[in-house]
Amino acid sequence: MMGRAMVAQAKRLLPVAGVLLLTYPLWPGASEYVLHVMTLALVYMVLAMGLNIVPGFCGLLDLGYVGFYGIGAYTAGLLTIHYDLSFWVIVPLAALNGALWGALLGAPTLRLTGDYFAIVTFGFSELVVLFLTNEIWLTRGPLGLPGIAPITLNLSWLHPQWYFEFYGKAPNFYLAALLVAGVYFVMTRLEDSRLGRAWYAIREDPLAAACCGVDILRYKVIAFAISAAIGAMGGCFYARWSMFLSPDMFKFWESFLVLCMVVLGGLGNIKGALVGAAILVCLGELLREGLGAVGLPPETRFMAYGLIMVLIMRFRPAGLFPAIAASGRANPLLAALSRRIAAGDFAGDRGDNRDTPA
Amino acid sequence: MTPLLELDRISKRFGGLHALADVSFTVACGEILGLIGPNGAGKTTLFNCISGLHPPSSGTILYAGSGGLMRINGRKPEQMTALGIARTFQNIRLFNSLTVLDNVRIARHCRTHANFVRAVLRTRFQRAEEQAIVEAAMERLRFVGLAHHALADAGNLAYGDQRRLEIARALATEPRLLLLDEPAAGMNPRETRRLVDLIQAIVATGVTVILIEHDMKLVMSICRRLVVLDHGTHIAEGPPAAIRENPRVIEAYLGRGAVHA
Amino acid sequence: MLEQQLINGLTLGLIYALIAVGYTMVYGVIQLINFAHGEIYMLGAFFCVTLITAAGLPFYVAMLMAVVCCAMCGILLDIIAYRPLRRAPRLAALITAIGMSIFLQNLALIIWGSRSKPFPRTALPGYLTEQALTVGSVGLSWLQLFIFAVAIGMMLLLYLVIQKTRIGTAMRALAQNRTAAALMGINVNRVISFTFALGSAMGAVAGILVAIYYNTLYPTMGYTAGVKAFAAAVLGGIGSVPGAMAGGVVLGVAEALGAGYVSSLYRDGVAYAVMIAVIVLRPSGILGRAVTDKA
Repeated sequence: MMGRAMVAQAKRLLPVAGVLLLTYPLWPGASEYVLHVMTLALVYMVLAMGLNIVPGFCGLLDLGYVGFYGIGAYTAGLLTIHYDLSFWVIVPLAALNGALWGALLGAPTLRLTGDYFAIVTFGFSELVVLFLTNEIWLTRGPLGLPGIAPITLNLSWLHPQWYFEFYGKAPNFYLAALLVAGVYFVMTRLEDSRLGRAWYAIREDPLAAACCGVDILRYKVIAFAISAAIGAMGGCFYARWSMFLSPDMFKFWESFLVLCMVVLGGLGNIKGALVGAAILVCLGELLREGLGAVGLPPETRFMAYGLIMVLIMRFRPAGLFPAIAASGRANPLLAALSRRIAAGDFAGDRGDNRDTPA
Repeated sequence: MTPLLELDRISKRFGGLHALADVSFTVACGEILGLIGPNGAGKTTLFNCISGLHPPSSGTILYAGSGGLMRINGRKPEQMTALGIARTFQNIRLFNSLTVLDNVRIARHCRTHANFVRAVLRTRFQRAEEQAIVEAAMERLRFVGLAHHALADAGNLAYGDQRRLEIARALATEPRLLLLDEPAAGMNPRETRRLVDLIQAIVATGVTVILIEHDMKLVMSICRRLVVLDHGTHIAEGPPAAIRENPRVIEAYLGRGAVHA
Repeated sequence: MLEQQLINGLTLGLIYALIAVGYTMVYGVIQLINFAHGEIYMLGAFFCVTLITAAGLPFYVAMLMAVVCCAMCGILLDIIAYRPLRRAPRLAALITAIGMSIFLQNLALIIWGSRSKPFPRTALPGYLTEQALTVGSVGLSWLQLFIFAVAIGMMLLLYLVIQKTRIGTAMRALAQNRTAAALMGINVNRVISFTFALGSAMGAVAGILVAIYYNTLYPTMGYTAGVKAFAAAVLGGIGSVPGAMAGGVVLGVAEALGAGYVSSLYRDGVAYAVMIAVIVLRPSGILGRAVTDKA
């Protein structure tokens, strides 16, 4: 349990920690390994924020998220290898492809109750893996897709020497951080909007939402497509960063891991998704080392993830850090309203309400 | 009288069960119509038909739109809401873990337009709309007397307040026809008196109300006209005084033989 | 060729049906997809083999004890993981079910290692390893006949339990309306425990049969089998026990034919594709009721 005072203190230290982490690649003696893990954590942050839309905002269990991650990654990998397209062109294309599949899968299946949806998404992601494994003419199958060119930034039309290649760890780290920042920005804006409120209404009570004028199916499909697009974007970066893809990178375990991050941070909590991703990526690395030391295969670390999910749902269904989730309070409209209520602006409306306990 | 809603031989079957059989009546603009009947008479089912949750198996629902009466059978709930038909639920269905304000803000959905792109870019249009949504929501909350609770969680409200919040939420969709499903259930006499005032205030703003209610005193005091359902059929219609004397109604409520007792 | 595919498909289908029944019964009483059911199936096989190799028990005794152990695991799973969440949102229970599935699978990985093991065939009664009859190119082994007999026998037994016994009636009552059942004096938790025990026992039997049939068992075997059995349950209409049986057989045959005539690479894909198609086109399944929200 975290005390309120500790949380307040942690919040004050947060910017310092952020600056330290962001400048890490510039430190003398920065470890390549640590930088790699940090970049990986950033990739998972993108994925966790994207997944969060569906179970967190809309209350639907999505077990096939990694399918979209895989679609994005292979879209990027293939477009790079065969057409040598720039990363900056591929990102929107991959996102669009992800969203397209999301809408295609979601439109017929999101009418159903949540359980069915969960299982359909699972089946879908398994089909994606089967496709990637078996369509050798396109994906080279289990051999994988090597030799994907790293990301480049060609600004030579501005200045002849402005041509950058993202070799090495640091540039990719900063690019991933930028991606996280971008997705976070979009998420916070969506959360506090007409769209976000429609999603929350669907999560709380779909029937009442419909009677409030929300087209449930439409907003579920939108949520699913946006989530898929973000997953595909994550995959796109991953492809150009790791420069190698193979079908078994996109098995169900990945979906499970990302779901675990979202659950750990608190369903529907954007900052929580970031924290959950950071914790589980670090935990994963520690367990990989630790389990190897006691002679267990590294896959057994998933036992810990399974346990985390069960315990969180049982004892802290709002996630590990509900205190961090103070989102929406930043909205100036609500802040103004809060001040007016505190000032007793609406006290006159109470009328004969005094006898009802509040 | 100008009709707002006309039901023509509405039937609803669930498997072999006839929940509604050939129910017809008309609702005039601006009236408070009481819909009464014993438990299981099909009152809520009729609301579900009108609000689009369960489209009727047969029959016609006519609604006075911009171009005269139009057939609205089979439209989805959100389309009914957009047409100006709003409802509350017998067993309160609020968005419990959201704030009181958010409950009402969600109901502004069908009267607002900001989409994904505008939300992300937070355009001038979107900001103005958000401001307007908060204002409209607060106006409804003041109307039902819950403004001071705006930022509380809906699930934490007292029972009577939750009922009134549901009404505020329905009003925020700018309805022309409001379907109230047992709004006084579980209220104490004081809360019920407040509710009567509230319903009368709603009608005074030009909204037509259909009221399902078991509290006969309440129904008889605010409705000029009542429709009585029993076992899914329309058995009587008329002013409260006549309904009170109607032998079929007495029989429906008290059982066969009660009329002669 | 076609006959052989049909026989193989039927064998597989009956096993799917045994597992699917467990999904569908639990869904019937608590409206939860028990994702950990596939792991119970896997545990059945491992318990049986461990009892044979480590304790030296004869096959039939080991099988019976493994089934009883799995039934208890099923009850424990419900009490520990699901019962505390009965009133929580469905999403919480669903996530817990996934968590338990992964947990149990990796627990087995730690206990028994990740490598697949052969079934100790020397412990089997001799006739189970022989061919029963061969007609032309079509063969039918005693093992397949054993699987038919056990699976059909178990299902008949299940039918009798559900239709003829007091607790079976209580299960059906619970599936209709839990609150009403509780008001009628039915001990809800006991009935749910019984349902888990029954479903888990059927799953364990399926696990043992598969381990013998393919002569292999491994900790992740519950994963694909679980999904396919769930697909079978969906195909038959979730909540419907006869539907789960029919769905299992249909899926097994479809898979064998698909692998034989379309492409063996997409063998597993058949199950997923069938499942998605059924959910999209006819969510109530072959024999199930439509799933709708109540106002």
